[in-house]
Amino acid sequence: MPGLTRYGYREVIGGFFEFPTENARRILPAHIEPVELHHGTSIFAMNVFDFTESMVGPYKEAVMAVIVAPLVKPGEKLPKSAFYPYLVATTTRAAREHAIERWHLPHWMNDVEIDFEPGPERLTARVRADGSPVADMTITEHSWKPVSHLYQSFMRDSDQTYLAHITMEGKQSEHEDEKGALTLYDHPFNQALMISEVYETPFRELWMRAGMQTFEPLVELETA
Amino acid sequence: MEAAHKKEPGKASVFSDYDHSNFYYGAGEDPLNLLAPFSDWYAEALPKGYYLYSEPLQSAPDTRVLVRNRKTGEVKDLINLASYNYLGISYRQEVKDAAIEATRAYGLGASGSPILSGTFEVHNELARAVASFKKKEAAILFPTGYSANVGFISSIMRAGDHIFCDQYSHASIVDGAILAKSKTVFFRHNNPLDLERKLNGVRGKKLVVVEGVYSMDGDVCVLPEIVEVAKRHGARILIDEAHSTFLFGPNGRGVAEHFGLDDEIDFHLGTFSKSLGGQGGFVCGSQDLIDYTNAFARSRFFSCNLAPMLAAGLLAGIRIVENEPQLRARLWSNVAFLRRRFAEEGIDIGKSTSQVMPVMVNDDPKVFAIAEKIQDRGLFLQPVTYPAVPKHKSRLRVSVSAAHSEDQLETAVQVIASVLREEGICRA
Repeated sequence: MPGLTRYGYREVIGGFFEFPTENARRILPAHIEPVELHHGTSIFAMNVFDFTESMVGPYKEAVMAVIVAPLVKPGEKLPKSAFYPYLVATTTRAAREHAIERWHLPHWMNDVEIDFEPGPERLTARVRADGSPVADMTITEHSWKPVSHLYQSFMRDSDQTYLAHITMEGKQSEHEDEKGALTLYDHPFNQALMISEVYETPFRELWMRAGMQTFEPLVELETA
Repeated sequence: MEAAHKKEPGKASVFSDYDHSNFYYGAGEDPLNLLAPFSDWYAEALPKGYYLYSEPLQSAPDTRVLVRNRKTGEVKDLINLASYNYLGISYRQEVKDAAIEATRAYGLGASGSPILSGTFEVHNELARAVASFKKKEAAILFPTGYSANVGFISSIMRAGDHIFCDQYSHASIVDGAILAKSKTVFFRHNNPLDLERKLNGVRGKKLVVVEGVYSMDGDVCVLPEIVEVAKRHGARILIDEAHSTFLFGPNGRGVAEHFGLDDEIDFHLGTFSKSLGGQGGFVCGSQDLIDYTNAFARSRFFSCNLAPMLAAGLLAGIRIVENEPQLRARLWSNVAFLRRRFAEEGIDIGKSTSQVMPVMVNDDPKVFAIAEKIQDRGLFLQPVTYPAVPKHKSRLRVSVSAAHSEDQLETAVQVIASVLREEGICRA
């Protein structure tokens, strides 16, 4: 398919965490609707990537997002989830400039440090910005199977709302055993969140290895 | 583009890649657009396991039951581990006789709202019997357990109030909270520490809602700790004893009685559909509470009242519970027997300590095939899978009855164990 953009990765970990819908609504544009896990409870998602190959070289990336209602069209593939990334952080300037220009993703404008620490049946990502910790997330392992899953990502800049279809291929472990952990630090990076209201334990944990993330060309959306 | 929810060439199946949660949102401006993607997926899901749901029964929900297989059309005589009917009361002769007599006297239904023309003397008699059984001043009846939670919670809580629910709360509790327009906060399952964290600093009217027995896991509420936390924070407590009324406690009043906390709980709610195998719900408490509920529980007075024949049958059922405490003893003996045998066979039943026992399969793709095999070998037992329970927590939910014989339960254990071993779920 023409216009695809591919990113090879070594590891991706993601956690879904409960947080108040009122917090989600403060982050989201008015026309994007948060998915509610329970009445009054929405989903904060953190994903951390270790990219090994891309058009801007290897880099690491942390994505803070809200899970939102997908945009479904007749006959088109149904997404596994839809994200609204409200803040992305990368370890290189080139990666940041690329993602802002191509995907209109809102970024933390300095390089961040991202370290992956492997443990027994777990992987911890530690994110630091401007010399102080932002977040530590531990994701635990379940059984692995090869998958190819479609996701949607909504982006908004000052003029326009966009939609990206993203396919994640690779080996995946996914479970809801509630064994992982999240620590969010009091840091300007986390100012969009009411930290004390975000669950420290993910209700869903995702871990992907040795795969490819593929972006289809961005779609401009009409909004009222 | 080929629709992903349809089987794609070269792919064995997409059945397990999708579930109900994928079909919540649809395209375009027509609500009917939701239908086609789900229908395509369901057409594949049905023969692969979903046919095991809503299989029509051809006989009473006794310990053996005639079930028509939705895939083959064949009617099979199966050991019944799927129906509630925990005390085996719904098909007792005196219950059927009472219902038949009431049908002769009153006909098919109540033909009216309980606050208008739909209240019969038998309804009042049933309400008095429930209140007496629960040792409360008064009781009020609802047409279903669902409507009891929805109607009661929304009758006493308002916008600006706070409702604290266990994360595993039944949908009727959640829907009641939504209808109340209160701020709803979920605490971790059976976790008083998390409840305390959520209650800290909250002002105004507060209601904590728990269940006596949680229906998917069969575990019992840690009520003493929950009550202690709730009272320290000035919150009122509602206990839904759908799966525990008529079973737990020295007199069968429920989990609150079991813990000696009957008088500490502000609102007692229960159903007639589980232990009695009937239908309907109730709330017990002071006469003032019941009068207020009568005036403000919209799910009740905007519904037709319980059919008088049901009320008559339930009344007979309560008399049996009162007069035959040995039924409870028999149930708990069966529960103990089954727990012991499951443990001996290495079958995981999670944290269950009640008559609801989840046989943990923990393998979402396999659970339907396992349930199918189990039914082929003579058991009526249904799978529960995501999103009703978390991913990889799929299970078969066993309901134990006082009416089961040990032979029936032993047969069930052997069938379940043999299938789980063949599928590599439990040790050989």
